Amino acid sequence: MANVFAKSAPSSHNKFSWDNLGDIREGRGDLGEEMPVLVYRLMQYTMLDILTAAYGVEAADKHFRDSGYLAGTEFAKHNLKLDGTFDEFLENLQSTLKDLKIGILRMEEFDSSTGNIVLTVGQDLDCSGLPVTNETVCTYDEGFIAGILEAFTGAKYEVREVDCWANGDRVCRFNGTAQKVG
Amino acid sequence: MESAAEYLFEYLRDVLYDPARANMDVQRLPEEFKELGQGLEFLAECVTETRTFAKFLAKGELNCPLPSHENEMAAPLKALHATLKHLTWQTQQVAKGDYRQHVDYLGEFATAFNTMTKQLEQRHVALAREIEVSRQKTRALEQSNDLFETVTRDSEQWIAVVERDTGEWLFSNYPVTQILASDSFLPRLKRWMSGEIAETDSGAESRTSEIELSDNGIAQFFTAILRPIIWREKPSVVFVLTDVSAERAHIRELENKAYRDTLTRQYNRHFGMRLLDEWVAEKRSFMLCFVDIDNLKYVNDKFGHNEGDKYILAVTAVLRGFSPDVMICRLGGDEFMLLAEGWDEERAEARLAALRGRLLKRNDEPETQYFHSMSYGAISVTPDNTLTPSELLAIADERMYNYKKARKLERASSAGAEPVAPVATPK
Repeated sequence: MANVFAKSAPSSHNKFSWDNLGDIREGRGDLGEEMPVLVYRLMQYTMLDILTAAYGVEAADKHFRDSGYLAGTEFAKHNLKLDGTFDEFLENLQSTLKDLKIGILRMEEFDSSTGNIVLTVGQDLDCSGLPVTNETVCTYDEGFIAGILEAFTGAKYEVREVDCWANGDRVCRFNGTAQKVG
Repeated sequence: MESAAEYLFEYLRDVLYDPARANMDVQRLPEEFKELGQGLEFLAECVTETRTFAKFLAKGELNCPLPSHENEMAAPLKALHATLKHLTWQTQQVAKGDYRQHVDYLGEFATAFNTMTKQLEQRHVALAREIEVSRQKTRALEQSNDLFETVTRDSEQWIAVVERDTGEWLFSNYPVTQILASDSFLPRLKRWMSGEIAETDSGAESRTSEIELSDNGIAQFFTAILRPIIWREKPSVVFVLTDVSAERAHIRELENKAYRDTLTRQYNRHFGMRLLDEWVAEKRSFMLCFVDIDNLKYVNDKFGHNEGDKYILAVTAVLRGFSPDVMICRLGGDEFMLLAEGWDEERAEARLAALRGRLLKRNDEPETQYFHSMSYGAISVTPDNTLTPSELLAIADERMYNYKKARKLERASSAGAEPVAPVATPK
């Protein structure tokens, strides 16, 4: 017998949608919505390990960056105010990243004529405290920041990490270059 | 060569305290010390790099080369460098007016910075509010000014705004514009305004004044309200003049009716007695003369009251010759009182005698039907006078009576010289 009241089935979890993140508060009534950074990193770096083994470093980094970009655009859409001035957007972004304990975002430069940007993330969720391996590891953040900037400005951004904790620095520094339209 | 330990110790001391001298040849070290030597060389590089970087930071040169990634000793300084770069950005934002900048996790500095931006924002908001209030006031003033000009343009009052320093007329309504065109009043009006401006304190409230202007012998009276104002950023005085000529004429007419004798147009008894009271109270020095028309009852009875009135007017005309500023009051019937300041007894006596002589001359005219004559008595009133006005008048009256009696006796006995009028100061 067919259930005529059944909701339409959600899309597969292999295809991201914000709604499929679910009702965390409901589902984790006792444990709550937060968890240690350790667990986040455990998932991130094991995934990186498997992807690297399967596709090589460059491809793994690209997949991580693309994932971050998807996360950034969705995060901006659902968590940030995108209808104010750039200064208002920046203030909102800083406070939101701090409140969600993602990191401490600090602006260093912004060229309003080109849209190019230099910013740092301190106490970064992905890398702060990692052993120094003389490499930049925040490829997920690169995509995440690019997705957020694009959501606000409407311009495509290429974001690259130039300083990283894993490279011996104490903050992660990102250069964002706005892609010229046309 | 000293021992390897001494060699390395000296090298380490130079690295820390005399970097220019620091030099080591690892190859000179025994084999077992070579790796330690290489480690110390790397440490020396890190120290030098960190020291150089710290010097840049100390001078605020943030666009300096960064220490290498291998130099973990410099990592905290690099974090400080990143913080300073961000603070530079934030300060630039504050300079642009973005007071939402907030510093986290930097201890007392964060507290001070956040307090500063908060206060700047509060001042900015307060200033913006003040500016808005000022704008509203300015708009209201402009509207008031427009209204003022609209209302005053066609007013019958003369309204003019005169700049305090230059005397230039900054605004004038239609009636004043007409005056400026015809200019019969203008020189006198400008002189008067100049004097009034000098007497008007710039911080004062409005005050009143008045002015009389003449054009071809016709006088116009104005009351004026003066108010200091700032007109188009210039300290000025606004004059509002109201023509009260008609009111003045009406008042004068009423005064005439109240204070003047209808036949002779001289002051009546009521006004005369009031004047005498005032002069005595003010301790003025003056002559009080009592004049009586001789034979008026006879003329009235014999020739009628019209002729009697003519006789009275003839005497009045003679009395007017006493002096330009003599106050002549008809007390009633045939009696007059003269009040004259600045006259001594001798001169007054001579003048009254002369006037009487002038009246007597009418008797020489052929058509004269009756004898024209008058009698008088006078008293000098000085500031130390202690008599009341009534007592003074009674004395003058008595002296007049004595004079009249003496004249009658003289005429009855025969024709003779005129008697001396009894004029004297009361004791």
